[in-house]
Amino acid sequence: MHAHAGGPMSRRRFLTVSALSAGGAAVGGTALSGCALPVSTGVGGGGETVTVMAKAEDISPELIKQAQRDTGVRIVTVKHDITKLIAMLTSGNPPDLVRGVGAVDTAYFAARDVAENLDPYFAKSSVLTADDLDPVNDLWRYDGRTQGKGPRYGMVKDFSQDSMYWYNTAHFDEVGLDYPSESEPVTYEEWLERAKRLTRRKNGQTIVFGGSYNGLYEATNLSTLTAAAGGSLFSDDLSRIDFTAPAARKALGWYIEYCRTKVGPSVIQPDPNAWDGPTYQASRMAMTNSGYWLGGMINTDEKLAKASRLAPAPVFEGGPRVSPCQGGTGFWMPRKARNKDAAWRVFEWFFGEAPAKARAGGGWGIPSLKSLRPLMPAEQDYQRRVLRAQEAELAHFSVISFTPYITADGFKALFNQVAPAAMKGEISVDTLARRLNSTINEQLERGKEQVG
Amino acid sequence: MTVDQIPAPAGATAPGRGGRAGGDRPRTSMTTRRHRAFYMFASPWIIGFLLLTIVPMAYALWLSLTTYDGISPHWRFIGLANYRELFADSVTWDALGRAGLFAVTSVPLSIVAGLGLAVLVNRPIRARGLFRTLLYLPAVVPPVGAGLAFKSLFDQNSGAANGVLNIFGIDALGWLADPYARYVLLMTVLWAAGNVMIISLAGLQDVPRELHEAARIDGAGAWRTFRSITVPLLSPVLLFQTVTGVIASVQTIMPLLLAAEPTTGGVTAIPQSNYMYMMHVFAEYFALGRYGYASALLWVLFVLILIVTGLIFKFTSGVVFYNVDPEAKK
Repeated sequence: MHAHAGGPMSRRRFLTVSALSAGGAAVGGTALSGCALPVSTGVGGGGETVTVMAKAEDISPELIKQAQRDTGVRIVTVKHDITKLIAMLTSGNPPDLVRGVGAVDTAYFAARDVAENLDPYFAKSSVLTADDLDPVNDLWRYDGRTQGKGPRYGMVKDFSQDSMYWYNTAHFDEVGLDYPSESEPVTYEEWLERAKRLTRRKNGQTIVFGGSYNGLYEATNLSTLTAAAGGSLFSDDLSRIDFTAPAARKALGWYIEYCRTKVGPSVIQPDPNAWDGPTYQASRMAMTNSGYWLGGMINTDEKLAKASRLAPAPVFEGGPRVSPCQGGTGFWMPRKARNKDAAWRVFEWFFGEAPAKARAGGGWGIPSLKSLRPLMPAEQDYQRRVLRAQEAELAHFSVISFTPYITADGFKALFNQVAPAAMKGEISVDTLARRLNSTINEQLERGKEQVG
Repeated sequence: MTVDQIPAPAGATAPGRGGRAGGDRPRTSMTTRRHRAFYMFASPWIIGFLLLTIVPMAYALWLSLTTYDGISPHWRFIGLANYRELFADSVTWDALGRAGLFAVTSVPLSIVAGLGLAVLVNRPIRARGLFRTLLYLPAVVPPVGAGLAFKSLFDQNSGAANGVLNIFGIDALGWLADPYARYVLLMTVLWAAGNVMIISLAGLQDVPRELHEAARIDGAGAWRTFRSITVPLLSPVLLFQTVTGVIASVQTIMPLLLAAEPTTGGVTAIPQSNYMYMMHVFAEYFALGRYGYASALLWVLFVLILIVTGLIFKFTSGVVFYNVDPEAKK
């Protein structure tokens, strides 16, 4: 029987069509994500409208209303999503402002010529002046060879020095360990030794993680560790990586040892909370590698706040003190944004006016304008104590260049594909170093070719 | 008066012309009208299929011949280089092998479990409707919710599964890591066997009762009746479930939802035993931005699915029993 108009489709034919459709959907559905689909800017109504691609926590509905009151500009938000951003950029209809992580996004977008040079805007601004910008904003500068120099492509909303760590004194008391200094760094080896002693296990379960040390991204963590060992993870032109070089090998070895000993969460021992905050708050983690920003959460629990201390970034024996910002989240403006002037007005307001002041007082990060520092919370003793440790650490801030030829996500994906075997002791760190060189350099080569 | 001039009687139809009586408008034959109706009803699907499947597939095919990454300015046409790389990529073949292994274990298991449950709830038991609902409920839980629930349940340090083991003095297991992660994944499939159950149940209710009664009169036992009457009559349904099950299993996204960090970059942090083909595609597309290579991976998967589906049809043609021959000419 042949299927015909008005007649039933045979079961066999139905199954065939179903199989074809489902198979086609596998190709088509995923490929669609890569298509250059036009996305509405949501422009409409009176006044200017600016499309901001952000996460929900970046701009609340209240803040959007406030923006309209303060600047007269209407903000339309688009959920931050790299595939959607690519689609919008490709279709020539980009958002006017895009969330980004200065430490890892600046070189990537600047090298691909999709980010606007904001120097002319900064030059004319009376809100965001050069002498008021904290050095952390240099994370958003890239001159084609080095991060931290050249034109500004964005700005940091607030920041932390992400190699620092918090510790809960109650856990140190419990095992009779001295507290780490809040002004002088311990060595990474000492930190790991303490983490081992603080870890408590029972029946094959980890009751208390001695310490967590994963950085913000694998890439920024490893490049910071390498810098602390006196080297550089990337070559001078940022086009290659070498984990077999002494400093990088030392950094990699330390991190793999941290994972192997299972004193803290890692890819082979994941934390169900996916981040340290809830685990530390539940007193199931003695030390957490998080910067000043975690104080925003810690200070909501007075008992925990009184027991917590913020300590400097550790060092390697004989190595320099290095304490960079591994994030530097903020906004950048696409070169083809349609409402650049209105977007800049929102930019100034977000980074220098009411929202910036509110963030500075919230304790979730150090303000990116020096003039806003006095607003940082310091009413309680524990807040003043943390602030002192943080202010002393600022002297050791520096920008560590990240390559434009791979994304932090790409680095993470390749690292996670190879490293677990070493973390489980199945391969040596030297073997891992060679495999990482091979797989990551291959991707860097592709990236370099595409940037041109 | 010529023949042409003779007025047509009321109700007559002019020869060779369609339309209503009177011949003032062209008439449409029944076949044409049926064809037109068919295409009108089918057109939304056809348009959707063209725009949302064929066009993206063609686009993906084009991408697969390039180095495009979505954003970089210097991408280029590289012919079949992505396909050549794919065939030499051991990560790809390992991922495909795991997906195949998952398909050949999860599909039979879920069909057997679903059919077993369908047989149970097809019996005249008390609160049958309630049991059917309860057994089907997991199938309607969104995969994201199911993934989170399983993650919490099987977490090494705080999960209920290890809590139970501890009660019996057994040390906690790392369920979400190798080598146990693959079993947790299989459990998620069996947990949602209600989907298979509901389709099998519909099939069971379609089996003529008189055939069962005749078999019983002839002295056949329950197992013999099930094997010789129920299963053959259910075979088209089972074939359907096999085909769709295989397609779904090679495309499963559940490993990512069970992962420690279900993010773009975290996709490769999945335990190796669960790092299957679609995870690899996801990583290449969204973590590494290799749109060209990932599109080639998808096209190869598409062709493989076609081949596997064809083989399933070929090898089951002799054992699938249709009440009415679906290919017979009327």
